[in-house]
Amino acid sequence: MSTVEARKIWKIYDGDVVAVKDVSFRCEDQEFVAVLGPSGCGKSSTLRMIAGLEDISKGELLFDDKVVNHLSPRNRNIALAFESYALYPPLTVYENIGFPLLASGMEKKEIDRKVRAMAEDLELTEVLGRKPGKLSGGQQQRVSLARALVRDPSVLLLDEPLSHMDQRVRTVIRARIRRIHDELTTTTIYVTHDQEEAVALADKIIVMSMGVIQQVGMVDDLFNYPANRFVAGFIGEPSMNFLNGKVESQNRVALQNGDALVPWSVDENIPQSFINRDVIIGIRPENVQANKKPLESGVKAQVKVVEYLGETRILTLSYGDSEIKAVVPINFQVEESENLWLSGAPGDVHIFDAETEQALIKMKS
Amino acid sequence: MAGIKLENVTMKYGSLVALNNVSFECPEGEFFTLLGPSGAGKTTTLELIAGIKRPSKGFIYIGDRMVNDIPPEERDVAMAFENYALYPQFTVYENVAFPLRAPRRKGELTSAQERERVNEITTLLGINEYLGRKPQQLSGGQKQRVSLARAMVRRPAVYLLDEPIAHLDAKLKVSARSTLKHLAHQLGITILYVTHNYREALALSDRVLAIRKGIVEQIGKPEEIYESPASDFVARLVGDPPINLIDVELENGANGLYVNAVGNFQFPLNENLTSRVTGICREKNGKRVTRIGVRPPYVGISPEKLSDASFQLPVYASVREAKSTVVTFELTHSFFQALLGVSVHFKPGEMVWVEIDQSKLYFFNETVELTK
Repeated sequence: MSTVEARKIWKIYDGDVVAVKDVSFRCEDQEFVAVLGPSGCGKSSTLRMIAGLEDISKGELLFDDKVVNHLSPRNRNIALAFESYALYPPLTVYENIGFPLLASGMEKKEIDRKVRAMAEDLELTEVLGRKPGKLSGGQQQRVSLARALVRDPSVLLLDEPLSHMDQRVRTVIRARIRRIHDELTTTTIYVTHDQEEAVALADKIIVMSMGVIQQVGMVDDLFNYPANRFVAGFIGEPSMNFLNGKVESQNRVALQNGDALVPWSVDENIPQSFINRDVIIGIRPENVQANKKPLESGVKAQVKVVEYLGETRILTLSYGDSEIKAVVPINFQVEESENLWLSGAPGDVHIFDAETEQALIKMKS
Repeated sequence: MAGIKLENVTMKYGSLVALNNVSFECPEGEFFTLLGPSGAGKTTTLELIAGIKRPSKGFIYIGDRMVNDIPPEERDVAMAFENYALYPQFTVYENVAFPLRAPRRKGELTSAQERERVNEITTLLGINEYLGRKPQQLSGGQKQRVSLARAMVRRPAVYLLDEPIAHLDAKLKVSARSTLKHLAHQLGITILYVTHNYREALALSDRVLAIRKGIVEQIGKPEEIYESPASDFVARLVGDPPINLIDVELENGANGLYVNAVGNFQFPLNENLTSRVTGICREKNGKRVTRIGVRPPYVGISPEKLSDASFQLPVYASVREAKSTVVTFELTHSFFQALLGVSVHFKPGEMVWVEIDQSKLYFFNETVELTK
């Protein structure tokens, strides 16, 4: 049981490489928080500072509202599982998982019960007697995860704990991690580059890029109200389409389509000061409406690729010298090199400042 | 350019049979994918076609030519593997041109021809403006395009691609997929592609071969593989979350046939399905049993009773995504999942009503083992 709070923390390596820049956030007690971002965004450095494995260059880290900057990892009551496993090679899987419990002086019988239950949850029962060297990468990672989860720590820190598992196992283990978190009373911070994982697991997601927090929110906030172009493009797959346009009025933008200007409406007021200025127009592939016939609000685009995916088709279309992706229902029959007219419902159109890339509408108040 | 044909090909490693009497034909210009789990024999098939290995039995044709006895370098195939790192000291141009400069191909192309080839492929892949850069000055997606350009700069009779985009993260994979498909169509080349990723197989291919333990399970267009799987194995190979497979008993009830699994999992079968199911069920301990399959999007969930065909189950886990929710139920031998098109949350243990869209119900012989 713990809250974790970062107050303006920085990580600066070698005096001038800024890995984490002025990061502040708070994880409530028993919350499941994901830190999501591409490689090199500072998410692992942040986690390592929370774990006490790295010094904090500037700022304060608090557990339960007490500063812990000076505490060593062992005095923070945290459990860790990292992408690379750090298992004890001479010990069996059983002994590796039970190790932290043994160290805490728990009774053998209780240890046995806990280890076996955890092994069952993480599909390790059959390999309990083996040494780590005899396991696949995915299995070793599960042992590492089991060892962290078995302890009931106040803070659980997981850094890409599923990266080496194959897809099927990953989906199963993901569901179990969340279940185990719900049964324990721990606060979990989970670092990943995989948005599907973050979205599936977390109560709250912290999106990072270039050492800076871009946005903190629930899945729906990040998806429906991205604070900037980075978040808009990062969350959701296939990625949001970004098109160049100009603001015509507070509720209308124009897209260049050959020689013509195509108007798209938006359902919120764009700030007055942006009229006649260049903006980036964002629309998600699943919100692109594809029409077989011309319409006033449709930009003409040519189908380049059609990808069948069972329940949907993804179209890649060329539009000017850029591309637009559209997800269409399976009964929408379409051929390569066919022309389509694409539009977007006013409620689905995002607008970003062309210079700062910050959202101009659809902001979470 | 040429097609590929395998005729009754068997490959044994000692007593292990890696490929068992495999036959298929990939006509010239087709994008043909081998889809299967690891160990199914996909890579072995590619190696046999490339000539890295020799089949224990059967014949391999490239074009009209039977190539069993022809050494790899004379087969005119290009093979690209999952991991094809770029040379960091070379520019993009040099990386792409590398296969054209192999000692064996020395003098085949003039430097003007070489430049033309490199220009053509890099233009198609949208990396023509980076020819002078070194790999470390490129983004991940650009590097991946350079790798692809290098794999495809030669013009062999067939391309053999083994998981060429498997190592990319999810986001790059989506863009690499459409790039590759576009390129294949532009060049009109024959591609034999190997993957364990069903999305790649369905999205890219003209036809897909589903393989399991060295045996061909089904060959068909992506739509056929997804919508009319030949077996429970193929059904489970495509789709995420995977298709639900449940072993059930069939019982006569007041209103016809009932499907019965564990606990409350029970519903009356639509009358029009009776003849289909009686064709595929079997006797076990005096009862009629069969295996049903339904994909998660066709399982409906509601707090209230939906119809007489709905039944109540406790939620095991509920996972939200941005625009959907996967709800999992635990059955005796398997999990049972529903994919809802909205983002909602159900608590573990909560009782909900479940209904299966019976127009999307499959019946299978049991060939795969069900595990949780």
